[in-house]
Amino acid sequence: MSAHIRHLRLPLSAQDIDGIVAGDLVTLSGEITVTIGLPTHQRMVDRLEQGEALPVDLVGGAFLHLSSYNREFDGDFEVLYLNPTTSTRYDLLMPQIIRSTGLRVVGGKGGLGAESVAAMQDSGCIYLSFLGGGCSLLSRALRRVVAVHWPEYISQFRLVTLEVERLGPATVAIDAHGRSLYADLRSAAEQRLPGILQSLTEARTVTEQGKQ
Amino acid sequence: MSIPSEVIRQTTAALYEWALKKIPEDTKQALAMAGATERNAAGRRTIAIMLESAEAAESAGTLVCSDVGIPTYSVKIGSRVTFDGPVRQAIVDGFADLARRIDPPILKMVTNPLTHQRGYEGRGIPVVSFDVIDDADYVDIICAPKAMGTGRWEALDTFVYPTLEQIDNFVLQTVLRAGSQPCPPIVVGVGIGGTMDHAARLAKEALLRPFGQTNPEPILQAMESRLLAAINQLGFGPMGTGGDSSAMAVHVDYAYGHGFTPVAVSFNCWINRRTHARIAADGQVTRIE
Repeated sequence: MSAHIRHLRLPLSAQDIDGIVAGDLVTLSGEITVTIGLPTHQRMVDRLEQGEALPVDLVGGAFLHLSSYNREFDGDFEVLYLNPTTSTRYDLLMPQIIRSTGLRVVGGKGGLGAESVAAMQDSGCIYLSFLGGGCSLLSRALRRVVAVHWPEYISQFRLVTLEVERLGPATVAIDAHGRSLYADLRSAAEQRLPGILQSLTEARTVTEQGKQ
Repeated sequence: MSIPSEVIRQTTAALYEWALKKIPEDTKQALAMAGATERNAAGRRTIAIMLESAEAAESAGTLVCSDVGIPTYSVKIGSRVTFDGPVRQAIVDGFADLARRIDPPILKMVTNPLTHQRGYEGRGIPVVSFDVIDDADYVDIICAPKAMGTGRWEALDTFVYPTLEQIDNFVLQTVLRAGSQPCPPIVVGVGIGGTMDHAARLAKEALLRPFGQTNPEPILQAMESRLLAAINQLGFGPMGTGGDSSAMAVHVDYAYGHGFTPVAVSFNCWINRRTHARIAADGQVTRIE
């Protein structure tokens, strides 16, 4: 199993991720930046629109929809655990973040929509699906808190940069060539739907006949 | 003999903590079975990682998922039981205790829907439904923390004299809409009939039924079986990245109503948080799952 897992070390170049395709399994090492705050995303976009720098340089980096429990401890921050959330609720804001920051990796779970996929293809960026309910496994990768930005937010909404070692494994669910497992699976499900509805009709008929 | 308020307080808090740290045994078995029959290699790997994650959280006493949800309880009170002290307030206090002491600490998930402010308490929290069991001398409490991953995809629609086909299609369309996002393989609870509030509650109660039990009504037994097969043909698979295993179970329940028929669809994600305890009339607590 581990033979099929690719190990990615941040920062990454466009070339580094070019050969990665949807369906690959990867782990991630280096500095990642995480948040699950919608206000945090909005604030990032507002800054980018005003031409202001973000508090963290995301060039070649990973920006992930992982919630983190972080707290002040001895005048510093510690992070107790990590876990993904559904990314689709950031769909309106992610295209601009992807296009404006030089990110190579985004992620969380559940995927991103067509505009984000297009932005990822244009900018050279992949989306990683982490295990929802993977708190204990994913948190083993935590090595160090690099920075906690915007501490005025609640824990999981802060913009937190962390050093991780072999975070994952995660599934590459959207690659930099415009292929999205989510779009493919949805389209396949919709194509299968008439057949599935037909099999439901047949199953109901059998039930009805059984009663007679 | 009566049940002390303190027992309600401690038991409801403990049920919530167990739900966060351990997935039900029947759910582990269902995942293992799904892993054994899953044809998609990545899907099989994802299921293996799910089981590893559940085991790691259970053995270390940590959280399976950081979205600890909001606390919800179904409380069924035997009519021969008496209480010494408040019940509703004991559940509120139990959750407040837990939020203060649980290790590891939990994130703020309780959200004011009007301002989006988050904390550990608020109007109507915990969400509790009460029912009565005639002639019983115990209280049954089920805790099922509700998180965003599944909560945002649940749905209810109201039909007029619906055919079984319309009901099947509504359930399937609701699962299709959720697609890859509710951390499949999911559990689906369906409530049919009654009134809007009652259908929603039937769906939730059906969701929490242990695996392997089918509805005794033959029409619903057949519906559960055909809908499970249909959902597992959609192809979303474990974590929604492809495979056969999109749902572990479909549980349906119903109530008589008028000609208008609400149909509610409720989901649990793969970790299927569900804990259950029984408090006897003398205050003795038995953990059922």
